[in-house]
Amino acid sequence: MSKDLEQLSALYDGELSLEEIHEGLKKMNEDPRMKETFHKFGLISELVQRKTQKKSSRVLFLKDHLSKVNPIISNLFTESSRVLFLKDHLSKVNPIISNLFTAAASVLITLIILYQFDDDRFQVNRENSLQLSSAISSEEAKSQLLNADQNIMEHMIHIMQSSDSHTSQKISKNWIPVGFSVSPNNPNQYSNGRNNLFFHLENKQLGIKKVEYFRANNNWIYLIPLQDGRLLTAYGDIPPSVANSMIQSIYKRK
Amino acid sequence: MGANKGDEVFINEIKAGNQAAFEAMVLKYQPKLMSSLVGYTKSVDQAEELCQKTFIKVWQKIHSFRGDSALFTWIYRIGINLAKNDFASSFSKHSKVTGSLDQNEHDVPEYVSPEIQLIAAQSEDKIMKFIQTLDSDTKTAFTLREAEGRTYDEIAEILSCPIGTVRSRIFRARQLILEFMTKENIINE
Repeated sequence: MSKDLEQLSALYDGELSLEEIHEGLKKMNEDPRMKETFHKFGLISELVQRKTQKKSSRVLFLKDHLSKVNPIISNLFTESSRVLFLKDHLSKVNPIISNLFTAAASVLITLIILYQFDDDRFQVNRENSLQLSSAISSEEAKSQLLNADQNIMEHMIHIMQSSDSHTSQKISKNWIPVGFSVSPNNPNQYSNGRNNLFFHLENKQLGIKKVEYFRANNNWIYLIPLQDGRLLTAYGDIPPSVANSMIQSIYKRK
Repeated sequence: MGANKGDEVFINEIKAGNQAAFEAMVLKYQPKLMSSLVGYTKSVDQAEELCQKTFIKVWQKIHSFRGDSALFTWIYRIGINLAKNDFASSFSKHSKVTGSLDQNEHDVPEYVSPEIQLIAAQSEDKIMKFIQTLDSDTKTAFTLREAEGRTYDEIAEILSCPIGTVRSRIFRARQLILEFMTKENIINE
């Protein structure tokens, strides 16, 4: 059985000969447990790849950050697995250099842990996203969106589906409406106890020259082009009467 | 990046009408597609429906897949386009986004869709931590395969060991992770 499962693992990786593939597929067809295991390999793979991609992007971010602080350490950072592999390899060749890698890897790991801790707070409030998604399918929203540019619609889909809220640039504290404070669970979410407001800031040109907003039941999405070329998207159950002073304040205070 | 060696064989088999190969491809890529679609739609139900539609379309369109991109990239594009169409059609039947499922182009094979299983967020870190506890040889082979997409040949060269050893180490890692997930009740046995 174990041999069959090892073959299944190699089949999953596409590392069998044509004849073995046929044999593997036949076995899978006959044994539902093998099918299930094959599917579970897929679950593991998805998880590891997703988590590693996130880490890699963090490593790149850290590398970039460190290059400003210490180019030597920065150059030691590639992908974490490579660091570990090189460390293993170097320990056989030169223990002193290997120790340098250990030190670098330790710094990296510490930073990743800190960053991951922060990342826990970066989760988009799923419930709110769902509410917004459902609200936006209203008739009024439909007619408004029909008149909207395709890029704007794509942008709004992107904002609503984005669970990687750390892709947003940091928001100026001056932009936050009076009475609103940051949510402990999400640095991009603000609340005054009754209403919620999310911000997303990025370098994006949608060809918008002035503020545009879309209403969907009790939610609004405001697209606010900033003078420096960036686009601030604010969304939540904040009516224009409240948003207006916020937008004025953004333009005044930058 | 084109389709990898393993996927190429799958694709050829599916093109030849091999339903078992199609089912294996669904089993392999469904978790990844589901994860992307849940992220996109924020709805498990909607993602599940789109997932089904995507694989139907994959079956119907597999003959047009030229292998210019990785198989999953192609599947992902189909899934996301269907999700966009869904999103747009929720606004209007006359949305600017066009395209629809080509019905009845080919008969869709009967396959048992695997039960959608998603790993709960709180279990993900547990699994990742467990992977860190694997012995160095097993972990390195597994990481090179899963995180970096290296082939067994490449891993064998990097680790200076026979391909058979690479194959056993990767399998060993998967087996241990599955045992851990079962023990922790993350997935059913």
